[in-house]
Amino acid sequence: MRSSETQDQGNDVKALLHRLQGPLIRYAFQITGDLERARDVVQDTFLQLCSENRASVNGHLEPWLYTVCRNRALDVRRKEDRMNPYAETAAEPRSDSPDPSVGMEQTETLGSALKILETLPASQQEVIRLKFQNELSYKEISQVTGLSVTNVGFLIHAGLKTIRETMLAQPHANSKVLRRVK
Amino acid sequence: MKVDPNDSRLTAYVLGELDEAEQEAIEHELLHSEAARQAVEEIRAAAEVLKTELGNEPRLQLSEGQRSTIEQKRQPAKSRGLFRPSRVLYTGGALLAAASLFLVIYLNWSERRSSLENAFDTDRNGSTMGRGSSPSTVVQESPKPVEVATRQSHPAQQLTVQAPTKGAEVQLDRKRQGAGVGTELIVRNEAVSQPQLQAEVMQKGIVAGSAVATPMVPPPTLTPTAGPGVGGGIGTGRFRLQRQFSFMNSSSVTQGYESEELKTRDKERLTVGDRLLKQREAFNTEAYDRVVDNPFVRATQNPLSTFSIDVDTAAYANLRRFLSSGALPPKDSVRIEEMVNYFAYGYTLPMNSDPFSTQVEVASAPWKPEHRLVKVGLKGREIAQDKRPPSNLVFLIDVSGSMQPPNKLPLIKRGLPLLVEKLTENDRVSVVVYAGASGLVLPSTTCDHKAKILAALENLEAGGSTNGGSGIQLAYHTAIANFIKGGTNRVILATDGDFNVGVTNQGELTRLIEEKAKSGVFLSVLGFGMGNYKDSTLEKLADKGNGNYAYVDSLQEARKVLVEEMGGTLITIAKDVKIQVEFNPALVGAYRLIGYENRILRAEDFNDDTKDAGEIGAGHTVTALYEVVPAGKEGSLPGVDALKYQKPVEAARESKSGELLTLKLRYKDPDGTTSKLIQVPVSDRGTNWTQASRDFKFASAVAALGMILRDSPYKGNATLGGVLDLAEAGKGEDKQGYRAEFIELVAATRGLVEGRKVTD
Repeated sequence: MRSSETQDQGNDVKALLHRLQGPLIRYAFQITGDLERARDVVQDTFLQLCSENRASVNGHLEPWLYTVCRNRALDVRRKEDRMNPYAETAAEPRSDSPDPSVGMEQTETLGSALKILETLPASQQEVIRLKFQNELSYKEISQVTGLSVTNVGFLIHAGLKTIRETMLAQPHANSKVLRRVK
Repeated sequence: MKVDPNDSRLTAYVLGELDEAEQEAIEHELLHSEAARQAVEEIRAAAEVLKTELGNEPRLQLSEGQRSTIEQKRQPAKSRGLFRPSRVLYTGGALLAAASLFLVIYLNWSERRSSLENAFDTDRNGSTMGRGSSPSTVVQESPKPVEVATRQSHPAQQLTVQAPTKGAEVQLDRKRQGAGVGTELIVRNEAVSQPQLQAEVMQKGIVAGSAVATPMVPPPTLTPTAGPGVGGGIGTGRFRLQRQFSFMNSSSVTQGYESEELKTRDKERLTVGDRLLKQREAFNTEAYDRVVDNPFVRATQNPLSTFSIDVDTAAYANLRRFLSSGALPPKDSVRIEEMVNYFAYGYTLPMNSDPFSTQVEVASAPWKPEHRLVKVGLKGREIAQDKRPPSNLVFLIDVSGSMQPPNKLPLIKRGLPLLVEKLTENDRVSVVVYAGASGLVLPSTTCDHKAKILAALENLEAGGSTNGGSGIQLAYHTAIANFIKGGTNRVILATDGDFNVGVTNQGELTRLIEEKAKSGVFLSVLGFGMGNYKDSTLEKLADKGNGNYAYVDSLQEARKVLVEEMGGTLITIAKDVKIQVEFNPALVGAYRLIGYENRILRAEDFNDDTKDAGEIGAGHTVTALYEVVPAGKEGSLPGVDALKYQKPVEAARESKSGELLTLKLRYKDPDGTTSKLIQVPVSDRGTNWTQASRDFKFASAVAALGMILRDSPYKGNATLGGVLDLAEAGKGEDKQGYRAEFIELVAATRGLVEGRKVTD
């Protein structure tokens, strides 16, 4: 499905935009922790796609978009951190952002697996999201993150292991308590 | 080979990431492993839930304005100037400043994550934040008690940094990212580096866990309870579950998962204790594989007992580390054969051309006088220092961030020179280090240039993450490149075993080692450190790599392993040594091999020369103990019904020979491929243990301590007091003082346990 990217230069951007803006914004949001900045990042990503020599990206269009999006989002975060180094903001990821449009909704619908996901090391969260939410292959994730394929496999395995073990061990009552405290 | 339920290939398999051959291999292995099948089911269920929940996250969109901007830009255009200014702004920033600021942020972030997790991070590797890994020399004072230091990753300088490039634009980004994120930092809290303190933190952590309710730590109420007869040490108090474990919040469970839950629930209940135990171990991140005591088996039904020898000693040194710091060791870290084999026994040297001699002693079992105890001893031929074949050694040293504490890299830097001092101009040494990447620090150098070798060791520094896999490959490559035919070719791996990047899963690592072992290069594994000690990985590596494994907790231990037992550690005189004992059912009702749980072989493997087994080094002694229930006294043991279709085999004439058992040994010469067989019949003269040899008493004292610490169901009436008396009686000359040390250790343990009973 991913490989059947339309080659038509004119219209594919629109199709890509339609299909990938959501996942890309989500991904950028995980890194920047700010929804508006995440949107800017994704806009820039698509703008860059438009000015890119398409021959060089065709065939791996989707990983390319994630890579550009990721680097741009990291830039934004770094720039912001520099301006406000002592802010009580988490570096990575900032999914507990108070942004009403996402944050609230998310807490409401947050399933138990997602809660556990949020406790994992950032590197595991990132690859797990890329795999399960954005449906990239290990190899594509490796291209996006710069990690080796083996390492991607290991991180996903380790993260998933924590998730299933915690799910298995989590008493029903506790998860309620957890929700209230949060 | 069985697939480990924790093999990351299982996840890859579920996610369809394996190629056809790998997939087939896994499917084949799944047929044989129930645990792996269950793991696959769990992975599949968790993946389903995760996918659903991630899919349920609200859909995000660009604003109308943003979309139309892109629409306008859609046709390929020349102008790229649109976002140039900001780009300049980004790159304009001082890279170093960015790096240090990032550090602070990370610190805040890590402190914000529950204090609990921080506490458990104690000995964890310095987290490499970078996706790239360019070193940076920023040192940041921490405003908080957590000590943060960034280190220049020494080896990384000489090595290629992996950074995929994706066009010029992206490359630019990567560079910046490298500077900002590539700083390696080590968060360490020295205050909790003692196991005792660590354990305390752990318990507090559990309380904190329920208060702040960190989802990572499910907080069922836990009560430390004393293990029967042993008394729970701080480190080992067994936690009894007081609340029924249930699965995840069922409202968010998809239907498919729920039915899985029902299927597996009963199984889960049985293993809840184990899970908890596992959780506890995860807290101090030391990893031990589960060991279940060998049970008694009836000689009529299973007359053959087959196992591979094991000359490892790591478990004893590790146990000493726990006991001397006032904590009882985790049950699974106690491997009785390694305890028994830590000590040398006065076996006679081989008289004939065999590489080792065998001697067997039988007497009553001190902890159960109605049982017989059979002690099997092997003694390897000794090789004089001047007759030692030339050696080609590759020191493979872990210099990752986790190796910083004084009992790790600094100890290695003091220990290895002891060995180098003993080497001569016939010997060659190379030094390979590994952290995030690996590198050859010292190419193969003859030992008449000792100063050069010592300087290379002295200059080692720790920092960064651990890619054990690539280091191992480089080390073997170096060893093979300098191979000495007829000499000692050996990789000596010094590590805490915490491989956390690159080839990290045990399956892949052991396969790598197994493959490399075929080259004729042997492996010695020296385990260092604590708190993050991966015993299970290291033992497997040594096992698969035709090697031996020792735990080094002090300079004295380094001296024992590298100098006193240098011959045994370096020179292999026989490999794939297997022992098979045939018991005579006329005299033996049932028997049990004490220890060697993870060395058991199938009876068929004994004559199968393709099956790998343990190595014996020059001067090594190997001791194994069998507890034997005399025929007719095995009454209470579970047996099976008489067979319906077969008549019980008639006893052969030899069964009346009065022989208790026949000991059979198979071994190969170090460079041989076919095995040789040694057979020794053994009779029981009915000796009482009080009349047995000193070595017999001492070895049984060590085994009894092991059984007590493991809380083995077979410990009989063994007590720490009894162990103490037995060890005193068996102490003998004890030139090097190891037995005296054992006695002190037992006395201290008794104080520990009894003191606790009073305060409880």
